[in-house]
Amino acid sequence: MKVTIHIWDLPLRLFHWLLAVAVAAAYITAKIGGSLIDWHGRIGIFILGLLVFRVLWGFVGSTHARFLTFFPTPSKLLAYFKGRWHGIGHNPLGALSVFALLAVVAAQVGTGLFANDDIAFVGPLFNFVDKSLSDRLTGLHNTIFDLLVGFIVLHVVAIIFYRWVKKTNLVVPMLTGKKQVPKTVAASLTGRPVRGVGAVGLILSLIISCTVVWGVTGGIAYLHPAESYEQTAQATQADPGF
Amino acid sequence: MNRKIALTLLLTASATAAIAGPIEEQIRFRQSAYSFAAWNVGKIKSQVVDHPETFNKDAVAAAANAIAAVANSGLGALYGEGTDQGVGWKQTRLKPEFFQKKAEVTVAANTFNEAANELAKVAATGDINAIKAQFGKVGESCKGCHDLTRIKE
Repeated sequence: MKVTIHIWDLPLRLFHWLLAVAVAAAYITAKIGGSLIDWHGRIGIFILGLLVFRVLWGFVGSTHARFLTFFPTPSKLLAYFKGRWHGIGHNPLGALSVFALLAVVAAQVGTGLFANDDIAFVGPLFNFVDKSLSDRLTGLHNTIFDLLVGFIVLHVVAIIFYRWVKKTNLVVPMLTGKKQVPKTVAASLTGRPVRGVGAVGLILSLIISCTVVWGVTGGIAYLHPAESYEQTAQATQADPGF
Repeated sequence: MNRKIALTLLLTASATAAIAGPIEEQIRFRQSAYSFAAWNVGKIKSQVVDHPETFNKDAVAAAANAIAAVANSGLGALYGEGTDQGVGWKQTRLKPEFFQKKAEVTVAANTFNEAANELAKVAATGDINAIKAQFGKVGESCKGCHDLTRIKE
């Protein structure tokens, strides 16, 4: 006997799929280069906004979006490997994957903010570091990308493994938000309060995410002007003869 | 007549074989050339793409001419054997495979030359949208060569 429960709230699902699309778009635009490198930068900033939102949502979102709900403690991991973990939401191993992916994407965005392509693109915080540091961070941005690809492959392989070996479809719940669970599992959870999406938490998370994006793209430079490469590019001759 | 041809061949051969100068000097000059180009690329990026309200036709045309001048200056002469190792203004990042990929390098370099010369032509017209489009192509040609010949940071 199975019952349908709501597991992934809409903001969480939107975050997930927007992140997937944005990472793919960021890869393609970086690979092609030319004028599209500016779009790579914009997509990166969008990903920053998504990440900030997800971190906040990890504290104020609905039950299964909260970090504390699925934080993979050693004891939970041990129980999972021994087959004694029977929960819903992210299992302890999946939770590790969530934190690893979030950390790697955050590192990728963080280094990208200071990066340059030695052609015609600099990240929005490039002016706050010197060129040699920006070059090193650009190098890290390249290295972390390989790491990210590794984690994405692992993520997809795990989903395929669950689908074919453990007969659990993880994709459909991430699309619809609903999951079928055995009645016994659902019953064992009724004692625990399940929080839905709170309007205040949602609005505050969105406002803070947008503020961080604004801060990075203009706010910091406005509050703390740094000498910029723009100035060199805009400078015109004081004396037309020289 | 035959002597003339022979002489031409001899001169060409000796010019090709001529040592381009100390390795450090070749690296330093080519790094300088690209830095100078980067300043001019930055001007066009700023005045055409990021802040079109600051577009100054003459400044952009001058910048495009400067990039084309760098492209047409015969930079290939600064890529002598052994210049994948050495310090100019800083350590070079030329891939050692550069010397085995001469044909591909030539294609990539010509793509840059053609794109840069076209940009200079388009910049002379002052049509900001056309400049922007061609500027993107120049950027792609830069990337084409970087991906092929430069060690990533």
